[in-house]
Amino acid sequence: MVSKLRLVAAATATFLAAAPALAASGKLVLYTSQPNADAQATVDAFAAAHPDVDVEWVRDGTTKIMAKLRAELAAGAPQPDVLLIADTVTMEGLKQEDLLLAHPDAPTDAYDPALFDKDGHYFSTKLITTGIVYNDTAPMQPTSWNDLTSEAAKGQVAMPSPLTSGAAAIHMETLTSDPAFGWDYYEALAANDIQPQGGNGGVFRAVASGEKLYGVVVDFLPIREKAAGSPVTFVFPEEGVSAVTEPVAILSSAANPEAAKAFVDFLLSPEGQELAAEQGYLAAHPAIDPPPGFPLRDAITLMAFDPAAALANDAANKERFVEIFGQ
Amino acid sequence: MAGEPWLAGFLTVVVGVLALWPMLRLVQEAIAPGGVPGFGVAADVLSSRSTWNATLNSLDAAIWSALLSLVLGTAFALLVGATDVRGRTLLVFGFVLPLLIPPPITALAWTQLFGPGSALLGALGIAPPPGSPNPIYSRGGIILLLGLQHAPLVFLTVRAALRQLPGELVETATVFGASAGQTLRRIVLPLLAPAMIAGTALAFVSAIGNFGIAAFVGIPASHTLLPVLIYQRLASFGPQVIAEIAVLSVVIGLIALVGVVLQSWLSRRFDVASLEGAGKPYRVGLGGWRVPVEVVAWSAVLLLLVLPLVALVATSLVPAYGVRLTPATASFANYVEVLVRQDVTRRAFFNSTLLSVGAAVALMAIALPLAYLIAWRRNPLARALRPIVELPYALPGVVLAVACILVFLRPLPLLGVSIYGTLAIIFVAYLARFLTLALTPVLAGFRQIDRAVDEAAQVDGAGLVMRLRRIVGPLMAAPAAAGALLVFMTAYNELTVSALLWSSGTETLGVVVFNLEDGGYTVLAAAVAVLCLVAIIAVIGSLQWLDHRFRLGVLPWSG
Repeated sequence: MVSKLRLVAAATATFLAAAPALAASGKLVLYTSQPNADAQATVDAFAAAHPDVDVEWVRDGTTKIMAKLRAELAAGAPQPDVLLIADTVTMEGLKQEDLLLAHPDAPTDAYDPALFDKDGHYFSTKLITTGIVYNDTAPMQPTSWNDLTSEAAKGQVAMPSPLTSGAAAIHMETLTSDPAFGWDYYEALAANDIQPQGGNGGVFRAVASGEKLYGVVVDFLPIREKAAGSPVTFVFPEEGVSAVTEPVAILSSAANPEAAKAFVDFLLSPEGQELAAEQGYLAAHPAIDPPPGFPLRDAITLMAFDPAAALANDAANKERFVEIFGQ
Repeated sequence: MAGEPWLAGFLTVVVGVLALWPMLRLVQEAIAPGGVPGFGVAADVLSSRSTWNATLNSLDAAIWSALLSLVLGTAFALLVGATDVRGRTLLVFGFVLPLLIPPPITALAWTQLFGPGSALLGALGIAPPPGSPNPIYSRGGIILLLGLQHAPLVFLTVRAALRQLPGELVETATVFGASAGQTLRRIVLPLLAPAMIAGTALAFVSAIGNFGIAAFVGIPASHTLLPVLIYQRLASFGPQVIAEIAVLSVVIGLIALVGVVLQSWLSRRFDVASLEGAGKPYRVGLGGWRVPVEVVAWSAVLLLLVLPLVALVATSLVPAYGVRLTPATASFANYVEVLVRQDVTRRAFFNSTLLSVGAAVALMAIALPLAYLIAWRRNPLARALRPIVELPYALPGVVLAVACILVFLRPLPLLGVSIYGTLAIIFVAYLARFLTLALTPVLAGFRQIDRAVDEAAQVDGAGLVMRLRRIVGPLMAAPAAAGALLVFMTAYNELTVSALLWSSGTETLGVVVFNLEDGGYTVLAAAVAVLCLVAIIAVIGSLQWLDHRFRLGVLPWSG
């Protein structure tokens, strides 16, 4: 009897927990920095699981999409319900401004606590690491970040600008706060005729085309395109990689918080995490196999990173960057 | 006379809301950031090194590219307008086509023609070794592409003037023993000077505001032009720096204004409007030079138009960037991806078509009565609107876009809904931006015809509406169609304004190509670009048919 009661209770609980998700319907506006094809796939998969939700999505780089959101906030008319952007630093800032809605019931049990906000304001959905890419015709095969400041790499390294790319800003914060590198490392890059600019797309293009032999770039672009035949190889340097974790969060101004929660829960579910792996990313969920072309999760060293410190240092870091590279 | 003040008043409101209001809002932001008057922000921006670098880069690129446009455009106008070269229609088509190709696509195509990663060069086995830079990603590359993009502007203006050239004058000179070269230098070129200057000024103003080439070529080249600086500031720091952006836009606005003022002043000094076009056109026989000149002309078209487009097609066929193009690797997979998997592309074709057709029709309805009041009625209010109309086009589209965000983000006063995030805000911005394109040909049309026609009708008691319908409409049908066409093509190709105003569901073609290229998906961007080209060619084909059927004479290569 007891076990039967428990079963009923469990079933009821499951039903109640699932009820908001099942009830999700109406329009959901998503602002995302995912590449077009991935954003489309994510939206398609979510729409299949929640046919009553009509997803509208806007895609742009994190800084650009945030500029758009900031303009809307300034005018008192924020459009999105959900944000799916590159980095936790931006999310931390939004959280501190009380712009995010807490979702403490999100299914985070399986996750490393370092990968989600303890108050449930934002949740990492994948690991996008920044490492080194080289053109297969390059004379050197880099294994360390210090190879980029060597004579062989002089003037041959493409790097994204932290002024454009959220991943590059986090990469800069990660390396400059590591005592082994610090700002001396960025000074050495500048001295080696390296001029960070634009986003990761431009870096990949320059290395794939052979206009530059080496690049500092996010992992998925070269790993995926290598599979399609592009003459490039991605390296996880021995000192470790920086990572952005593509967190998802609900705006406190969301017009449709129920659908927004369903979207967050979907991304964190094993099904949503499998989708990330299928799209060629390392999933944040530890039980999901890495996609082809990636080493096992255990083999990847993540360098230390503190979103709150990164947020506090952000403006000073960018100023210092501009000073060093004269942009 | 009764309706005229009403009409002028109505047009003043329309132009004021479209062109003046957003611009004033921006200026207000520049001199009174956040509503507090002060020049602190302006002083900071003007003393910043990046501002001056970008300003000098922009001036440099605009001046040299305009001069390149002048040389190419004038030479080509003389070639097809004043010699007995054969295959004229096709030559003109080949030369004018770059104007109809969106600047981002031009830039994408040219970058695919050079560098170690070029699919075309790779397939031919002549790609430079890895580690060599792509020469297009440079100051020279920007100047070259801007010059080519805007050369048709000079060409069209000069060729129009060439048709009006008094043949008797040239004949007289020849009778008095002047050689062909002397006639050209002493008589023809001075008479064409106003058109050459007008065309060059147009090319200069277009180059100053060009965002597509400045972004696609300038960003990888680390050669920042003002529109890109503004775009990047906004993208990196958001609207908190709107005051700074407003100051930058005032700088670029003043530069453009200098070009506009210089052009109108010089045009007045060299006014040839009094010289009536003669029945006999100015023609020079090339004699033995005909074949070599034809070879050079066709080679130029091949090199400047066909080759980059072939390189673009080659890139669209490889499965991933950097892959060598061979019969085994070539596929249409990128086309399937953008057409079947990404509905954003199909949506963008629809949006761009809707926006550009809508803008062309709406702007004709504004431009015709406005030009009538300016040119024939010399209405002081309407004449005062002329420079205002110019403003949103002279300023870079980025600035107009920011101004439109400032003005239209909040719900509209009476309707209570915001047009932000809809096609409507892009449409309104297009109306503001392209009104001058619609107005210019119509104004020129009015100036060609003596306004005595209208005055005679007025004396006979014809009212304003009657005169607009019976006289202005029929007489101005051809210039109006030309203006509509100009608006349609420019709007269809537009990236700058929509890059900041697009939202989910309102992507334009320019935005789609820019986003794909920006994300590193060059092969997909190339596929969309090729599809755009196919659509443009289809549009031109149907226009060609219309043009032939109704003898409009609006297509540059049909006359």
